[in-house]
Amino acid sequence: MSARCTLVPSVALLARSATTYADTPMSYLHTYGPAGDPITRLGWGLGTISIAVISVIAVLLLGGLFRHRTERASDDAQLAVGREGGGMAWIYVGVGVSTVVLIICMGWTLVTTAIVLHPPSTPALTVQVVATQWWWRLRYTSANPSRTFTTANEIHIPVGQPVRFELASVDVIHSFWVPQLSGKMDVIPGQTNVTWLEADKPGVYRGQCAVFCGAEHARMALEVIADTPVDFRAWQDDQLREDPPPGSVTVRAGQRVFQAHCAACHAIRGSDAAGIVGPDLSHLMSRRTLAAGSLPNTPGNLAGWIADPQSLKPGAQMPDHLVSGPDLTAVVEYLNTLQ
Amino acid sequence: MSRRILPSGIVALSVMLCACSHSEGGSASGPPATGLPSGGEISALPMGHIAGLTDSAALARSIPNPYGDNPQAIASGKALYIKMNCAGCHGYDAKGNMGPDLTDTYWRYGGLPAQIFQSIRDGRAQGMPAWGAALPPQEIWKLVAYIQSLGGTYSVDGTPRNAQRPELVAPELSSHADDAPR
Amino acid sequence: MRNLVRSPAAGALAPSPRIEGRVHDPVHRHTPRRGAAIAGALFLGLPACGYSLQAADAPAAPPVSTNNLSGATLNSSPNDPAGEWHSQARDFANSRYSPLDQINTGNVGKLRIAWTFSDGTLHGHEAAPLVVSDTMYVVTPFPDMAYALDLSKPGASIRWTFKPNPSPMALGKACCDAVTRGIAYADGKLIYNLLDDHTVAVDAKTGKEVWRVMMDNLETGATMTMAPLVVGNKVFVGNSGGEMGVQGWIAALDVDTGKQLWRAYSTGSDKRVLIGAEFKPFYSWMKGNDLGISTWPDGMWKHGGASVWGWISYDPGTNLIYYGTSNPSPRVPAQRPGYNLWASTIFARDADTGMARWAYQTTPHDEWDYDAVNEDILMDLRINGEMRKVLVHFDRNAYAYTIDRTTGEVLIAAPFAYLNWSTGFDAKIGRPIVNQDKEPRPGVKLDNICPPDIGGKDWQPAAMSPRTGLVYAGIFNICMDLTDHEVGYIASTPYDGMEMQRHAAPGGNLGEFMAWNPATGKKMWAIKERFMTMSGALATAGDVVFYGTADGWFRAVDARNGSVLWSQKLASGVIGQPITYLGPDHRQYIAIYSGVGGAATVRADTSMSGFPAQGGTLYVFSINGDSIGAEPALPSVSNDAGAPAPTANRGQQ
Repeated sequence: MSARCTLVPSVALLARSATTYADTPMSYLHTYGPAGDPITRLGWGLGTISIAVISVIAVLLLGGLFRHRTERASDDAQLAVGREGGGMAWIYVGVGVSTVVLIICMGWTLVTTAIVLHPPSTPALTVQVVATQWWWRLRYTSANPSRTFTTANEIHIPVGQPVRFELASVDVIHSFWVPQLSGKMDVIPGQTNVTWLEADKPGVYRGQCAVFCGAEHARMALEVIADTPVDFRAWQDDQLREDPPPGSVTVRAGQRVFQAHCAACHAIRGSDAAGIVGPDLSHLMSRRTLAAGSLPNTPGNLAGWIADPQSLKPGAQMPDHLVSGPDLTAVVEYLNTLQ
Repeated sequence: MSRRILPSGIVALSVMLCACSHSEGGSASGPPATGLPSGGEISALPMGHIAGLTDSAALARSIPNPYGDNPQAIASGKALYIKMNCAGCHGYDAKGNMGPDLTDTYWRYGGLPAQIFQSIRDGRAQGMPAWGAALPPQEIWKLVAYIQSLGGTYSVDGTPRNAQRPELVAPELSSHADDAPR
Repeated sequence: MRNLVRSPAAGALAPSPRIEGRVHDPVHRHTPRRGAAIAGALFLGLPACGYSLQAADAPAAPPVSTNNLSGATLNSSPNDPAGEWHSQARDFANSRYSPLDQINTGNVGKLRIAWTFSDGTLHGHEAAPLVVSDTMYVVTPFPDMAYALDLSKPGASIRWTFKPNPSPMALGKACCDAVTRGIAYADGKLIYNLLDDHTVAVDAKTGKEVWRVMMDNLETGATMTMAPLVVGNKVFVGNSGGEMGVQGWIAALDVDTGKQLWRAYSTGSDKRVLIGAEFKPFYSWMKGNDLGISTWPDGMWKHGGASVWGWISYDPGTNLIYYGTSNPSPRVPAQRPGYNLWASTIFARDADTGMARWAYQTTPHDEWDYDAVNEDILMDLRINGEMRKVLVHFDRNAYAYTIDRTTGEVLIAAPFAYLNWSTGFDAKIGRPIVNQDKEPRPGVKLDNICPPDIGGKDWQPAAMSPRTGLVYAGIFNICMDLTDHEVGYIASTPYDGMEMQRHAAPGGNLGEFMAWNPATGKKMWAIKERFMTMSGALATAGDVVFYGTADGWFRAVDARNGSVLWSQKLASGVIGQPITYLGPDHRQYIAIYSGVGGAATVRADTSMSGFPAQGGTLYVFSINGDSIGAEPALPSVSNDAGAPAPTANRGQQ
């Protein structure tokens, strides 16, 4: 299989991805933070060196294959190798250059892996991530205990600062992967793995569970949203703020429905619902997605998800048909007030 | 090369997807093909006699656990038993604490699977909460499957599940529903 | 080795437990008792475990007087009549001390059953009867009935019965058996708490309900088990439910109407907790604003527990009440980082307004469910040459505290039971130093945490004697193996998560009855018991101290040296509180409930034989079992020979 057939599509792909990265959120060819940049640079670098090496070899090979033979027509008896200034130089130079290049690549790889192991400065923020089938529980810790709170599936981090993540699992092996910010870190039951992220610019960076973990592994996504420090503080304050008690009759009815049917598994801070089996739904309307990044957070999707989660995410732990009819309308209206 | 790899890759992927898509609604241990008993059937059950031995009327209308001995259902039931705080009242070993022992053969409200289902779904007077709103029927049957696995419940023919205890085998059931409990 | 105390009058053999250690003081001698075989006793010194128990002393000449070893003086307000018992603790200071001395170390060996009363219930019997004039009032565990017994009648017949019919739903919410810890008497009314969150007042003469108020919501899992305290025109009550994620509170109600005068919650804003300008905690971690919110993760104070299910004392000099709050919820500390104020905290509050004066958290960020609800016994002591107004508190965390009750400063904190959760008490910061090896984490099994959740001593109240200056308490010698599980809050279910197995600590005995010197923080003597010593203590001017064991032994002990003078096996385990009173016949009686339950059903070693069945019988003892005559109510039909009517019986077994 000639290199040409791989080369052309690769270049085309790279060219595409460079200009349209926003359309490919899971693309790891460009990263936007110091946790991932060294790796990406390494990847590109090794890729380029590999392509260069392959090109050189290809040229030499082709040259060797199609070298003009007319000079040798009269020298059938002479071996090409025996000629002075002939083939041994090729070998010495080739091995020498290859060795140097390989050593450079190996050194670069080792240095890169060492760099990304630890954040450049001590992270001021630690987020405890608990991976469970098939969503992400997040707990923002703080030296001030009352600023400790729990949320799910949507991580906010301040731009320009490293954030530490302590990863734990309550069931099977998962993997925490935000490709545009960092490499993968497995989440293994029985131990706590630590990784870190840092984003250079504000934006939404999509993540995904990267180890097959069961039926809905493909729908176990997450979003990391990098905010400016001011916006991040505002988001934290929003998450800690207590929502006012329900105003209208339907919203109060919705809260009652929620308390009766949903509160055993879900929590909404400020209400009597404090279950931990399912995602914390406090300030649900501040999130962009539902069901671990599977659905955009719209009222229609929310109603559909509550009514029939199994059709959207078959095998999810949330049971079907717990709420329907006017109860469903009321509870959706209630949830819509959780800003 | 890619022309040979691609088809086999697709085949492998399809095999995996087919294997995954067999999980029915609820979770990996979905309700079996026979379906779930209706809520009305459960409500119509008369409450059991104190020792769990129950009259023929109740037996006649009683329903087996649709999960039977399904080990995945039992495992899910055990996980639910802890997550729903059943362990807090009935003990992590189910031997009772604030709530009664679930491993012995004494069932205040009846020890048939459907009666235990009813106790969980509707709650009971001495402080057992009603779970019907929070847990759909298949989840409650998984809990019942777990409780049945502990050995103290009764089968739908009135005999104790644990065949090792011959002294508890139900004597011949009378046709009079209002006999005094034995 | 077992020492047998032979009582010739009864011919009964009462095995006495091993006696560990004696007071080493040449002034004290042993009182010779007829029939007592003290000389055969084997005195063993306790293994070195940091407590100062003195070596055995050879018996010498009889003592001439009782010496006050701590200089403690007692204010026995409200100074009820000596022969009566109007409140669970007998006085505001919670001394449980009676000035009666008809029964004393000389004659207590002759105690016999005078009469008994079966109250018709099972469940743990934790209360003490009250005696007002010629009536005894008893309250039962669920269904919380009250009886008035006419002490002037032979056999103390029932004068009236009050059946409040509390909701059976409460049975499934009470963590630790369907108990009540007693009644209060005020102004012709009996006031007590029903399990289903009502406080009820009953006319003491007629047994008719005067008022009933609902104080909390059973749907949240809250119940009420504590004994109210009456001071003047106010009655103080609190809730239970630290295992259920309730919101704990204490309230003052008007004695005549039941109207709530004030309520102080145990978590939340300063406004809710009634903390204001006059609040002056002694130690730094309790200083700040709204600590009842900020020492919890966001919002968790709302299910923070910290209920008020223990004892309340009152100082008439300063008009302050003293009480403690329960553990923080959930019982899994990993879910609630922070100090978790104001759980596991002793409060001093103004009795009229409820505003807090000071607070002291005995176990900050309580990781083992130690609570702080145990009784605070008020006394004045000489410490380092200075007279101090103190409270003495045996906490569940196995530290015995002597705290200045005007400021909340800890003067003494010394271990009174086996403990390993802490490596010592840091007097500068004012709290115990936590042993990090004993801090639980979810999913990890930790073995041998001592004491267990029920503590080195639980709610069973101690008694103090102003004659010996010592405090007497039944304590535990228990440890637990613990695995925490993360737990969600589901209303009306336990917010718990502690999976544990309890077992005996080194020594193998589950219980111990001890005498403690609160001025020095030293244990003076102790009696080891195979089963838990979960009853209250009673101290009398006759220098006799009474206590009971979970397997049903009720004992009388010499208050000065711990010699067991008398023992009686009762029908069921003893977890109630003994009292003493003078009957209408001016005879001194001792009354105690038997009926095991409560946390004594822990059964730390399930292979132990001898654990009793449930019961519900009140026992009343007197010297020789004498009581008011036992003539039949109706005259006998005379025969032709005019045979005389049968004579009054002496009390029989």
